[in-house]
Amino acid sequence: MENILLSLSEAFARAPNKVLKFKTFVLTGLVVITALMVVGIFTRTELDMTTDSFLDQEDPSMLALNEYRRQFGSDDSVFLVYRAKDGDVFSYESLTAIQQLTDDLRYWQELDSADYPESINGIELDLEELNHIRRVQSIANIRFQRNEGDTLLSNRLVPAEIPDSKEELAEIKARALAEEDYLLAFYSADTQYGAIMIQTDFGAQPVEDYVPAVDASDVVLDDSFMAFDDFSTADSFDLEFDESAEIAEVSFEPVDMLGYTAFHVATKALFENYSDQFEFYPVGNPPMMDFMMDTLNQMQVFGILMILIFTLLLYILFRSFSAVLWPMVTIAASMAWTWGLTVWLGITISQMISLTVLLVFAVGIADCVHVMSAYFTYRRQGIEHYEALSLSYGKTGLAIMVTTITTMAGVLALSTSDLVPIQVFGFMSAFGVVMAFFFTIVLLPILLDIWHPGAPNEEDASLADRLGKRWTDLYIGKKFLIGLVYVVAVYSLLGPWVGTYILLVTGLTYVVVNWQNSILSYVPYIVARRPWLVIAIFSSGFLLCAWGMTQIRIDSNMTELTREGSSIRIAYETVDEHMAGAMSMVIMVDTKTTDGLYNPRLMQAIDELQTRIETRYADQVTRTNSLANIVKDTYQIMSDDDPDYYRVPDDEQMISQLLYLFNSANPEDRRALVSDDYSRSHISLNIYNAGSYQYQLFFDEISQEIDEVFSPLESEFPELEVYPTGSLALLMRMADEVANSQFSSFTFAIGVISVIMIVTLGSLQGGVMAMIPNVIPALLGFGLMGLLGIPLDTDTLLIAPLIIGIAVDDTIHFMTHYRVELIKTGSVSESLKMTISDVGQAVMFTTMVLGLGFALLSFSDYMGMAKMGFFGSAAIFVALLCDLFLIPAMIMIFKPTFGVKDADTRITFMEKLA
Amino acid sequence: MKLHKVLTSSAFLTGLVFTGAYAQELTGFEIMDQVEANQRASSDSAFNKMQLSTCRFGIKDSRITCAERPRIKSLESVGKNYGPEGKDTKSVTIVLEPAAERGVGMLSYAYDDTARDNETWLYLSALGRVKRIASGNSDDDSEPASVFGSEFTTEDTDTGKLEEYEITLLEETAEAGRDVWKIEFIPNEERARKSRYSKTINYVDKERYVVLRAEMYDQYDNEIKRLLASRVELVNDIWMARSLTMMNLVSNRLSNMAFLEIHTGVEVEDEFLTTRTLTDVAFREAELENLRVQID
Repeated sequence: MENILLSLSEAFARAPNKVLKFKTFVLTGLVVITALMVVGIFTRTELDMTTDSFLDQEDPSMLALNEYRRQFGSDDSVFLVYRAKDGDVFSYESLTAIQQLTDDLRYWQELDSADYPESINGIELDLEELNHIRRVQSIANIRFQRNEGDTLLSNRLVPAEIPDSKEELAEIKARALAEEDYLLAFYSADTQYGAIMIQTDFGAQPVEDYVPAVDASDVVLDDSFMAFDDFSTADSFDLEFDESAEIAEVSFEPVDMLGYTAFHVATKALFENYSDQFEFYPVGNPPMMDFMMDTLNQMQVFGILMILIFTLLLYILFRSFSAVLWPMVTIAASMAWTWGLTVWLGITISQMISLTVLLVFAVGIADCVHVMSAYFTYRRQGIEHYEALSLSYGKTGLAIMVTTITTMAGVLALSTSDLVPIQVFGFMSAFGVVMAFFFTIVLLPILLDIWHPGAPNEEDASLADRLGKRWTDLYIGKKFLIGLVYVVAVYSLLGPWVGTYILLVTGLTYVVVNWQNSILSYVPYIVARRPWLVIAIFSSGFLLCAWGMTQIRIDSNMTELTREGSSIRIAYETVDEHMAGAMSMVIMVDTKTTDGLYNPRLMQAIDELQTRIETRYADQVTRTNSLANIVKDTYQIMSDDDPDYYRVPDDEQMISQLLYLFNSANPEDRRALVSDDYSRSHISLNIYNAGSYQYQLFFDEISQEIDEVFSPLESEFPELEVYPTGSLALLMRMADEVANSQFSSFTFAIGVISVIMIVTLGSLQGGVMAMIPNVIPALLGFGLMGLLGIPLDTDTLLIAPLIIGIAVDDTIHFMTHYRVELIKTGSVSESLKMTISDVGQAVMFTTMVLGLGFALLSFSDYMGMAKMGFFGSAAIFVALLCDLFLIPAMIMIFKPTFGVKDADTRITFMEKLA
Repeated sequence: MKLHKVLTSSAFLTGLVFTGAYAQELTGFEIMDQVEANQRASSDSAFNKMQLSTCRFGIKDSRITCAERPRIKSLESVGKNYGPEGKDTKSVTIVLEPAAERGVGMLSYAYDDTARDNETWLYLSALGRVKRIASGNSDDDSEPASVFGSEFTTEDTDTGKLEEYEITLLEETAEAGRDVWKIEFIPNEERARKSRYSKTINYVDKERYVVLRAEMYDQYDNEIKRLLASRVELVNDIWMARSLTMMNLVSNRLSNMAFLEIHTGVEVEDEFLTTRTLTDVAFREAELENLRVQID
């Protein structure tokens, strides 16, 4: 093993100069292939950002939702809640304005686009997007039923001609408040808030190029449709049917973020015309996705800022612009090949590509920094260019290979996920990591050969060197004064949060640039003085985090992913507080029997389930609605409004006729509620916003209630199926799936890393020892979240392993290098000292660049990203502390020889210091 | 729930029959005007028996056929025109099948004068009582209603006033082996407010003035429904289609309306077109027998 490691190191040492021999050939080849990849990226990229794309179309919950949509249409709607600034949604002014807005939304074709802005928030406004509106309901057009003698009246709640007398308006208000079905759905009990319900066709709109199967030229109507007897005296004739006939199911246009956003922008343009009178709180998928889109745009800004920070730090740390340019080129090439090859293979990519970019970026930076740190050190020591290249690759190549394998193994584990985009992400990222390794070995030497800093002498000093020199020449008092002015300026310009971040960046950079060598050379002595204390500190931190991790709650709450005080969060909170709750779910009732829903016992069971849910879960559910409500309402109305008849009748024929009436009167509502053959229906629930954890509990409880209520019907309906579904259920399924796949990925990654460490370090003892500093940063993020009571949402969970992978890379570099040194020198003390001084700088630099870069994400408005940024960056810094303090302490105490025979295990730091 | 919509679906039934008559060549508007006039004539003093069969459909050996046992409703209806120009109608419709709905009845008075509210009475046999159903306001925001739960909606045939459409004669072509005019209907702004369709294309038999095929388009300009008429026969000197099949191209469901019996020009007692017919089974049966005698 030792020989293999040494020969591998030697092979890496020879690699750069071999590559340089065929420089022109290699470079031309790479440029040509890269160009090909770039062409692919621009011509063949298919980006699918739909939520549906996350689950396999054959997944049970997807099948259930598609079944639901085919039967009942889209379940996507916008609930546009408004607060009347005059305090009363039933005032003359409020009613008039809402009537106008309702008309605007319903008859948008009649609006003149010249009256509206051309774009909102940079998104072009297109009123045609309002085509997605299927139905608009508000105070202005809902009707209520009234019995007058033998006449049944269906009047508008608010007359088209709005009265202006106080008495009449008060009468309308009183009538409205008595309508229980509308209360909380269209106005709040205190009449300060109202709502417009905008139903859309998102997810239920047939695909654009859909051609009905009946359009085929030779298809004709079967003769049986004409085969009835002339003037027959029979009551009916039986139309023939053939169950083997092929039904061409319509596919629906997939819904993507851009579609939602464009729609939301268009509705926003309409309602903002009324912002003098109302404050609006839109909730539902379109406004939510609009917010997500803003977040994505913000991410682009963060991306640019991150690159700026990387650039600045690389420049300051290496004091050469080549150290900035070449890693960027290497990373860009890796990314181009990864992305290019994926699209050339015809694979559709999702928004998760951004995470792949992030990962390749981080891994690429780490790879390049390790090589360049070694190269620049050798150069500063006066070693000639080719020799320095060879030495630095020999020193770092093996470790880079090991980190590549471990990171690749970690992300590859994701490819076992049931979620398609996560699978693609797994493969793509694994490939990207390999590409970063490949280009670091093959391209970076050529680039460094083209342009590299000369030998260190005064005339050739870079701008950074000269600036640094001028600064060190200043008097201490002047330095202090400039520092103070800088601190005040940063805080007053950027505020406390961003200010602290910038000062942290500046402070750390200042410390590292000025004292890195002293820090690194003193570290072994600090540790050697009290190694047990170091172990004790890290152990207690480890235990605390391990305990914290047991406290962690995996919970995705849609609104808690948004920053407190953001408009979308306020909207959701308002709807929960004043109206019927912003979320909805459905319980599908499938009797698998034609006319099954006419059965009184079944209908009574539905009614019973609703009553149970409404009484037992009043803290989570606001209202429920189903066919049973229709039956009860109609029964009472048809029985002279006698409240005794507000119940499900015991007679099948009665139910059938009441529903017949409903169907004839309101087929749209009927079709949205029950299938044409009355075998399937659904109960809809308005629920308060909560996290996935609470929903999951709620779903389980509901399932139990369903079992209890419907089990007596088993003999009558042996195939009866009652189950919760809807977009929310799908979201829960996805959250579940992400949590599972992350857990397995995480376990798998730790397993693989352990094995690789054991093999590379040549001993079980070494492998286990190396795993401890690897696990601590991993635990830290989760542990801290558990301790602080911050729930771990699926988005953070998704990114966590990446961060951990990046954090452990440095540890692997450290340990690998130590082993190679040990084989070479045979002395534990000597190897440790060499490792800290050789790898220490590179580890410090990558930590600075990546840790501070990721910390920037903490400022994201999207909490999933912000949490990842903050805790990820903390993990990266803790990994550095582990490498510099914990590993040396363990080596000093346990004196591992990693299979090296006759190693000198004496620890000589204290003697030397003395 | 909007019970007032029952009214339109009931009134619709008696006026549904697509009919035709000979006439000289005309513009698109005039052709349709002729078709409409014949429809009115055919609904006067009419006694019809019809069957609505609804099913999911598929294709087998290039033929469109039901892919499941169709759900069947059979109905009997009697109608008569009133008013100065015979533009007001009174009609009664009784459900014969299915058994659970047997005896459910509807009586409706439709007035040409827009100032006068239409009237509908509904009788549910299981409840044994009649309700008059009225919408206090005009039908300005009504949505098209389904006809007895079928794929036919009131809008499909109750096209309203021709003045509400931009009617264009697109071309002369052939459909089902007959020479036809292809005529496009685009609703004006006011009509569009009530309509589910952005446009409709009718194929009118040039000789018989019967709509043989109609295509309905949604707001994305996709065809969503298609009507096919067959069994065009001469009944009492008027050409009419006795089998109408409406296919919903999105949900893959169709409804077939078969006119098992069509009799026009029968003598209908005014007393028959009152609520008594709905509640008094003996009276209803006696009057219907009276009509049957006339036919034989």
